[in-house]
Amino acid sequence: MDSFVNWSLLALSAPGWGGLLLQGFLHSIEIALGGYALGLLLGIGGAFGKLYGGPVLRDLLECYTTIVRAVPELVLILLLYYAGTDLLNQLLGLLGLGAVDISGLMAGIFVIGVVQGAYSTEVLRGAIKAVPAGQIEAARAYGMSPAKVLRRITLPAMLPYAIPGLSNLWLIATKDTALLAVVGFAELTLVTRQAAGATKAYFLFFCAAGALYLALTLVSNLIIGFIERHARRCFVEQR
Amino acid sequence: MLNNHKGNSMKKTLKLLALTAALAVTGAAASSAETVKVGIAAEPYPPFTSPDANGNWEGWEIEFMKAVCAEAKLDCVVTPVAWDGIIPALTAKKIDMIIGSMSITEERLKTIDFSDKYYNTPTGVIGTKGEDIKPTPEGLAGKTLGVQVSTVHQAYATKHFAPAGVEIKEYQTQDEANQDLAAGRLDAVQADAIALDAFLQSDQGKACCDYKGDVAPDVDVLGPGVGVGLRKGEAELKEKINAAIQAIRENGTYEAFSKKYFDFDIYGG
Repeated sequence: MDSFVNWSLLALSAPGWGGLLLQGFLHSIEIALGGYALGLLLGIGGAFGKLYGGPVLRDLLECYTTIVRAVPELVLILLLYYAGTDLLNQLLGLLGLGAVDISGLMAGIFVIGVVQGAYSTEVLRGAIKAVPAGQIEAARAYGMSPAKVLRRITLPAMLPYAIPGLSNLWLIATKDTALLAVVGFAELTLVTRQAAGATKAYFLFFCAAGALYLALTLVSNLIIGFIERHARRCFVEQR
Repeated sequence: MLNNHKGNSMKKTLKLLALTAALAVTGAAASSAETVKVGIAAEPYPPFTSPDANGNWEGWEIEFMKAVCAEAKLDCVVTPVAWDGIIPALTAKKIDMIIGSMSITEERLKTIDFSDKYYNTPTGVIGTKGEDIKPTPEGLAGKTLGVQVSTVHQAYATKHFAPAGVEIKEYQTQDEANQDLAAGRLDAVQADAIALDAFLQSDQGKACCDYKGDVAPDVDVLGPGVGVGLRKGEAELKEKINAAIQAIRENGTYEAFSKKYFDFDIYGG
């Protein structure tokens, strides 16, 4: 070994592994974005269902959030990736349809989305409850339809309360992508392990992966900060 | 103007339809030429399978796969899967066969099917240099032995070494076990002799460890060799693979690519 760190291993094209690492990073971001978006949709639906839905819907949603938040994500990923695909294909087989292949990307987005959905349901439910009831009443008094109340009052008014929780969830989503390494999906962590194993430069590659995750968090923080300032623009800044 | 457009778009639609039909037909044809997803373990396992910096996989087993697929006229695609989930991936149809140095064992035959063996190598133990370790239950007593999970080596170590007071540590990949041996957390590692040899050839392996010998054979646990893992009930594919293995053994292809990696006959007796 001529020097402590062999930087050329990180070169973007072969024999460097940098290109592969970045590709894995891109996959990680794709999964995180997709999963988070799905989670938000589930969360909005879940929060409104829990607050305004009937007793059956409420109980179902309670089951969903309790179970998903109780089971470790790793177990959920293994369950949905292996058992889920098998089950789906058997179902399709019963209906006389051909088997589908669920790609690692799709499975990843789905699993992270389902997990995120459970957490964001609770975050959004809390945020909606924090909106002063008088504002919603006032909107109704103006004769707004429920959809309009939602669009113009509830959602914008709850946003400032939801953003800290939601931004936490986003950062968790970016790191949850690493769990998909266990099913052999080539996201950043798995690629890093392969690169490190093949070159024996463990220190270099794990540090590089750490730096990439850190960079993602820093950029996310900037964007979150901007969104938060925008959402809180009508609040008096209290310190 | 509008009518004209409509006529055009009508033609276009027809063309499109014809094209889709043609595509569908070729698609069907392509699938009858059989695209087979070959599952390999998503980890470096030299000299059998390891990734290069382009993200391609290379090694003896990849060449074996190419030779078999060419012989059997299958369109094979390498699909890396986590080792400990490779059998569920096969049964869930995420992959169609396993070419991942998987030993044929009774236990696995309960869930999946195997082709004939395509290589058979001894099982060995490596350990820290200078330490007095023998690949026997007595010689390993009181030591810590690393093995990869869901392998014949894990089964073997649990059956023969654990009762003698050997502490067994399981690893997700062979590479991690080797790494822990080099880091001093293990006294010895049991695995396929060839894979261990590849590690001992590396700078890290040279520095830390040496070969302690082969373990006593136990065909019940270690099995008759390594075969291509297949789903149960796919007799046609199995037939094809077996014929292809035999053909490349006979026409010299097997020997030709094996020579690049080994100076002995890896097929075994």
